[in-house]
Amino acid sequence: MTNAVETRGLRRTYALDRRAKTGRSEVVALHQLDLEVAEGSVHGLLGPNGAGKTTLCKILATVLLPTEGEVRVFGRDVRTQTRKVRRDIGIVFGGERGLYTRLTARQNLHYWCALYGLRRPAVRARTEQLLERVGLVDRADEKVEGFSRGMKQRLHLARGLAGDPRLLLLDEPTTGMDPVSARDFRSMVDELRREGKTILLTTHDMDEAETVCDVVTLIDGGRVLAAGDPRSIGALVSRHERVEFDFVGPVAETVRDLLDLPGVVGCTSVSPGRHRVETADDDATKAALSLLVDRGATALTTSRPRLEEVYLKLIGDRGMAVR
Amino acid sequence: MRVFTASFRFQCQLLRRSPGDLSVLVTAPFFSLLFLSMADQAHRSALTPYAVVAPVFMSVWSMSLFVAGDLISRERGTGTLEGLVATPASLSVMVIGRITAAVTVSMLAFAETWLIAWLCFGIVVRVPHPLMLMATLATSALSMAGTASVLAAVFVLVRSARIFQNTLSYPVYLLSGVLVPISALPEWLRPLSKPIFLYWGAALLRDSLSPSDVSSPVGRLLAVTALGAIGFLAGRLLMHQVLRRVRVLGTLGRT
Ligand SMILES: Nc1ncnc2c1ncn2[C@@H]1O[C@H](COP(=O)(O)OP(=O)(O)OP(=O)(O)O)[C@@H](O)[C@H]1O
Ligand SMILES: [Mg+2]
Repeated sequence: MTNAVETRGLRRTYALDRRAKTGRSEVVALHQLDLEVAEGSVHGLLGPNGAGKTTLCKILATVLLPTEGEVRVFGRDVRTQTRKVRRDIGIVFGGERGLYTRLTARQNLHYWCALYGLRRPAVRARTEQLLERVGLVDRADEKVEGFSRGMKQRLHLARGLAGDPRLLLLDEPTTGMDPVSARDFRSMVDELRREGKTILLTTHDMDEAETVCDVVTLIDGGRVLAAGDPRSIGALVSRHERVEFDFVGPVAETVRDLLDLPGVVGCTSVSPGRHRVETADDDATKAALSLLVDRGATALTTSRPRLEEVYLKLIGDRGMAVR
Repeated sequence: MRVFTASFRFQCQLLRRSPGDLSVLVTAPFFSLLFLSMADQAHRSALTPYAVVAPVFMSVWSMSLFVAGDLISRERGTGTLEGLVATPASLSVMVIGRITAAVTVSMLAFAETWLIAWLCFGIVVRVPHPLMLMATLATSALSMAGTASVLAAVFVLVRSARIFQNTLSYPVYLLSGVLVPISALPEWLRPLSKPIFLYWGAALLRDSLSPSDVSSPVGRLLAVTALGAIGFLAGRLLMHQVLRRVRVLGTLGRT
């Protein structure tokens, strides 16, 4: 099976304005990036500001050329087979922009559908189908400028689907959505997955990646830090487990002993009387558990960290600092 | 072709929602008044055809320059330019469809001028060659759009291309004999008129309003069309190059 997306040694740089005296002449947005997105999967691209997510989406959408390396969409080269690639993709950039706000939702969709070379009856049929899908039928003849954020975002999604793409690129699609709209949005993504579409979704939101993605790739500084299914990423990166316990009385000595155990990486207090031990492997977890039982700790629980924590561990050293 | 007609229709919808963009239709009657009263003052009825045709061509050409330039910067502003480029449709065909729509609507300036001549000067402008008139307006509209698409391509690359818009208006009206007969131009400037499609279009339009037969109509219509086609091809080629360039630079979506 060909992959929906395949990049090999992808590098993209931007020339910097020479007048801005930074001393550098270019920014490297993507650095030898290797990425594979299997057909039919929902693939999450997770990374902090400036990681290169939007740059990658733009390259896949053919509006930006790679500086070096190979990029294929359904086996086709984005450089040389541009038009064919364009037939297979739809792109949705997050945010408010990207719609003709003085026109109605229906007029917007008519135009975008027509740009995929459909005949008029087909344009009309596709438009109605899309309006239905995103739940905008009742508001279809209102000007977009009066729409709420969530409605605009739904219209964005419909616009991205105008060409009935095999690969849908969603660049931070839920930014600025309220939780209810975001949930609706995720269920639409689920529906698209069931139809066999491939979706590449960029996000800052761990919950989102965890709930909708089959595979997650963590990127930062234009490089892949880790990739895998959202749960195994957790296991892979931290191999961490955590043990929580309640402790009555002075805990300092116990904490010191815990930290002396090989493989125990940290101990913090989560609430008065309750503490959390972070371990780096199974043996450490076992040792910590038996030590805690000896000392009379109660309410012991073990759990795996969530993707969010993995993400923070990987990039957390410099917090959310933007480069 | 589907992209062309869809873009044409789309631009009409946009114009309906922002009638301010049709300001040329407000200025056209004033130009008509001015030119017709100058012809009247000079008792030179030979100039009347110029006075009627000039406001029409001025309105239509300045409209196409305005739309060609504005279209790209507005798409940037709404954040749709990258989305448009990411579709399989050709950006130059979209642009030409949309300029043609604006040009067609601004042809209303002809009706305005006709009314002014009649109401204010009692001149009934007759159209002895209506078919010629229609053919001239149609070929001129397409040639305008074709030529103006070159400008649109420049706007994709350079964000501050306003200066082109200005240099391409009044000097061109003068040079192409839209405002005054080219016999009024110095000898050495006259060869520059012929390669401008406006020269052929304006002369044909004047001839279709005069009772005598139009000389070599097909050849002259062909001249308008051919010059327009050259503009169209140049626009397409330039757009192709420019899009490649901005995809390398990464400046396509920049506002
Ligand atoms: N047109 C451009 N010109 C110059 N530098 C750019 C341009 N676009 C992006 N960059 C730089 O490239 C790097 C990657 O940017 P990119 O927009 O791809 O990141 P991102 O992961 O989408 O970030 P965010 O989460 O903020 O959207 C950043 O350092 C950014 O400053
Ligand atoms: Mg981004």
